[in-house]
Order: sequence, then structure tokens, then C-alpha cells
Amino acid sequence: MSRYSATCHIIDQVRLAQDIFHLVVDAPDIARVARPGQFCMLATAHGGGLDPLLRRPLSIHDAWPSGRLEFLYRVVGKGTDLLSQKGPGETVCVLGPLGRGFRPEPCGKSILVGGGLGAAPLLFLARSLDRMDVTVILGGRSIHEIARLDAFEGAAGEVLVTTEDGSRGIKGLVTTALERLDISSSSHTDAIPCVFACGPWPMMKAVYAWATAKGIAIQVSLETQMACGTGVCLGCAIRPSTQGRYLHTCKDGPVFFGTEIDWG
Amino acid sequence: MPYFEQKSTRPLPRTGVDLAGIKFKNPVILASGTCGYGQEIDDLLDLELLGGIVVKGISLGERRGNPPPRIHETPCGLLNAIGLENVGLERFLSEKMPWLRKIDTAVIVNILGNSAEEYVQIARSLDRVPGIDGIEVNISCPNVKAGGIAFGADPALAAEITRRIKTVTSLPVIVKLSPNVTDITVIARAVEGAGADAISLINTLLGMAIDVKNKRPVLANIFGGLSGPAIKPIALRMVWQVARAVEIPVIGIGGISTSQDAIEFFMAGASAIQVGTATLVNPGSAAEIVAGIASFMDKEGISDISQMRIP
Repeated sequence: MSRYSATCHIIDQVRLAQDIFHLVVDAPDIARVARPGQFCMLATAHGGGLDPLLRRPLSIHDAWPSGRLEFLYRVVGKGTDLLSQKGPGETVCVLGPLGRGFRPEPCGKSILVGGGLGAAPLLFLARSLDRMDVTVILGGRSIHEIARLDAFEGAAGEVLVTTEDGSRGIKGLVTTALERLDISSSSHTDAIPCVFACGPWPMMKAVYAWATAKGIAIQVSLETQMACGTGVCLGCAIRPSTQGRYLHTCKDGPVFFGTEIDWG
Repeated sequence: MPYFEQKSTRPLPRTGVDLAGIKFKNPVILASGTCGYGQEIDDLLDLELLGGIVVKGISLGERRGNPPPRIHETPCGLLNAIGLENVGLERFLSEKMPWLRKIDTAVIVNILGNSAEEYVQIARSLDRVPGIDGIEVNISCPNVKAGGIAFGADPALAAEITRRIKTVTSLPVIVKLSPNVTDITVIARAVEGAGADAISLINTLLGMAIDVKNKRPVLANIFGGLSGPAIKPIALRMVWQVARAVEIPVIGIGGISTSQDAIEFFMAGASAIQVGTATLVNPGSAAEIVAGIASFMDKEGISDISQMRIP
């Protein structure tokens, strides 16, 4: 486990839609050891202030050997709003990489399903897999919620877009696209596909149900309230599928096998 | 009495503290519940730079903790209702102590129970365990129904638990007080009278938050304990009061994020301080506070932490 606390220079920050931002920082130590599905804690208070007090957990959108570390996030409150106001030349304190990421196993096609900003961790994952075996499904209410489509098209053999208002791609939900998917086609014929999902809880629940019905293994990336991100506060508990100990998003996750958690 | 001297070409301040018979390299200690059992953050914070560490509260049996949501951020503060999730006494001794005893820093074990008998049993089991330097008795957790605050709000019960623990252990006993009482000095005097070697304060302040959209409390436990910079003025006031009410050393806790915060507590009468929520925000906080205190003492020509106390 290698984790670093670094003050990073911002290389670029671009507003992609109304409240969606793409942040690129220079974080060599973190970027070199980061694995797809891991996350970082970013300080958002300006000038080392105490409000907001806690750092914000953001999943790693992409990481490069050059030290380039990317985040894709939506402004949802004061912390992310302050973060979105920063630009090149400024710095941001980043702690990471944290948590347990995706654990790709030998399988047929890899189906990556992202709902809204749940797409964020999937680009790094897609790039780590054999491009021609990757299908990415990106869902949103409208085209404005589909971020970085070009990058996904460059990293995956197939990219399907679904929008609830039909402004782009298939009209409907990500499950609409999943139902239409030919899961048998893969360069590894006969091999069973696997699913990696990240997005709103109802979406992941529906994707989990779809995968389970088809006998396909699924890993999901979860988001919870988090204070430390390092495994000391135990604040990010989630209910396990068994009667045993609670799981913790920051150290047992954020990526879990669908069978590990209580879907309620 | 100060015992620790750093090697340097020019004389550095003596930040060492001998408190309740425990020798601390410096007066900065990690607070229980914010540093796990140490190993969890060892890669982000060199524990050997610190005076000590108070491990996550240990109960007789393993505890599952409260259901989620367990935490909620407030302005400059953090509400938590973890519910004392911990590995239990047996696993603590077999899985956590072997690593902790290799670390060159004071190790204090925070203990909690559902009954006086449970506190006694845990204290007895910890006595003479190599590597343990002291016990911190948690009679102040606001997040569990049995034990915790029930003992900390009643001077007679707090004194009884302290007295019984003292009879079964040779380790220094620090009693951690709750701020959720009318007059904290009454409890402080009660545990001092019962033989406590030191007092640490404050634990979290009982609070809550409501989710307006869903019309329900945010935390599954309804109430939680408030920590962080928001509570520092209250903690400082209580440390001032208790330091003037008892003769035994006082360890200040509550929203300490910088060395300046720590120095305020020394001026109020604390002999040492604990860093809690700040470690969650920035794992390196405690080490930065150590350096800041040393630099302040150097600049001000202070040779001992106790000199900072305002008479």
C-alpha cells in the first residue's frame, strides 16, 4: 500500500457542462501507483482554511506515468464549488491513491456501466483493459450528463449512450442498452463477460439484478459520506450481505463485488 | 519533568512531558477513534515523531458499531455516531499489540464497557501487557446506549469506576470526561478523588442534524458527537476550569488543528494535548503541530511546556 499526501499543481480545469468539471493535476507519486477504481481525498477550503473541514473523495478518472492525474466531478455543494473555482497555476492538496479498486479477472467481454458522473472511474479502467473487449455504456438524463464521450470512444471497442430524454443515443436507461447487448460476442469466444458499474444506487441495483439473472459477476463502485478516506474513522460503513461486520467504503471498497453488499 | 532532548547544534526547547508516570517525547498525542490502532496511518504519519497514541476504544467483545449513515459534516465540525465499532479485547491483544509495541511512542489504550464489571475486566487484562503505557477510561461516549456517557454524567458512578479500575491495574489511569454535563469540574474532582492519575477532556458534544428534504435525522443513530474546530472554544474553557479544579495533570482535547490551537490549551492549563478530527482531515497534522510547538518554544525562550500556563 503506497499512499501519498501531496500539494499538486493544477495543470488544467475545464467546465464540460453546467456543473461538470474535468480537473487535471500533476501528482507523480500518486499517478504512478494508482489503480483503476481507487480514489483521492482533495482539500477544497481555500488557503488551508477549515471550512469546508473535510476533504472531498473523488474517484480517479485517469492516471498516467507522466504524473498526470485526472478527476471528473460534479459540483454538488460548497466543497466541490470551491474546487471548481481553481485553475492552472494554483495548487490543491491531494491524498491518495486510496481504497481498493476494480479487480479485473480473466473473462470475456468487459461491460462498463456508468450512470451520470459514475462514468468517472471507468475511463481509467477501460484503458487498462484490452480495448476490443470493452463495451462502455454511459447513461444520463440528457446529453449534457454524458461527459468525455470522445475519451471513452478512444478507450473502448464499443460505446453506447443512453439518455432518458432521447437527446443522444438510445432513449431510456442503461438497462435498456444492457437488454439489447449481445453478451456472447467476444474475441475470447465462450468466455463469460463481467460487469463493472458506477452510478446512482437505483441504477447499480438494476444493473446488479440484470447481471445476477444472467449469471455474470459484477463489481460496483460505491459512494458514501466519508471523513478520513484512510480507514481510521470508520464513518463510511455500508451494510454487508452477511450478518457480519460492516464494510467500509474507504478501505474495503470503494469497489465491491455485487455479492458482498446488502442491496436493501 | 522534561526528559527528552533533541540533538541539535543549538539548544532546542524541551518538549518532553512526564505525565501521570508516562514519559511522552512531546505533548502531542493522537486521540482515540481518529487513528485506528496506528498501523492504518503509519504510512502517512510517522508515529515516532509523536508523544503518543490513544488507540480506538476497546470493549470486552467485538462491537459492530451503529448502522449508517454514521457521519455528517457541519460548519467547521464533524458529527459522528460510529458506535464504538472495534475489534474487542482479545483481537486487540493478539492482532494489534504486536505491531504497536514495536513503535517508539507511548501507547495508551482507551477502554469502554457496558458495566463497571466490564471496565474492570478489560483493565485487569491489560495490566502488565508489554508495550502498553497507560489506560484511558472512556466514560463519555455519547453514541452508545449502555455505558459511556451514563457513567460520565454521574460523579458517583464515574468515581466508582475509576476506583475499581485503579485496584486492578498498575498502569496509569487517565479518565476521559464528557462535556455533556452541567458542571464538568464536579466530575473531574470526583475521579481525582477516586485515584485517577490524569484527566483528558473533552469528548464530543452531543448534537444532531436533520435532512430537510427527507424530513428525518441525518444520522441513523439520530444523535451524534460533534468534534472539530467548531468545539474548540468550549473545550478550551472546560480545560481552563478543570485545570484549576484539580491537582492531577489535564490533557486537552477538542478541535486542535494547529500548533497555535495546542499552545492555547497549554496556556489554559493542559500538560499535553490530543489531536483528533484534524488527523482525519490531514493525516500529517499531529507531526506539524509538534514542529510548531517546538518552534514557538524556541522563539519565545520557553524551556518547559508547563511554563506556558497562564496563572
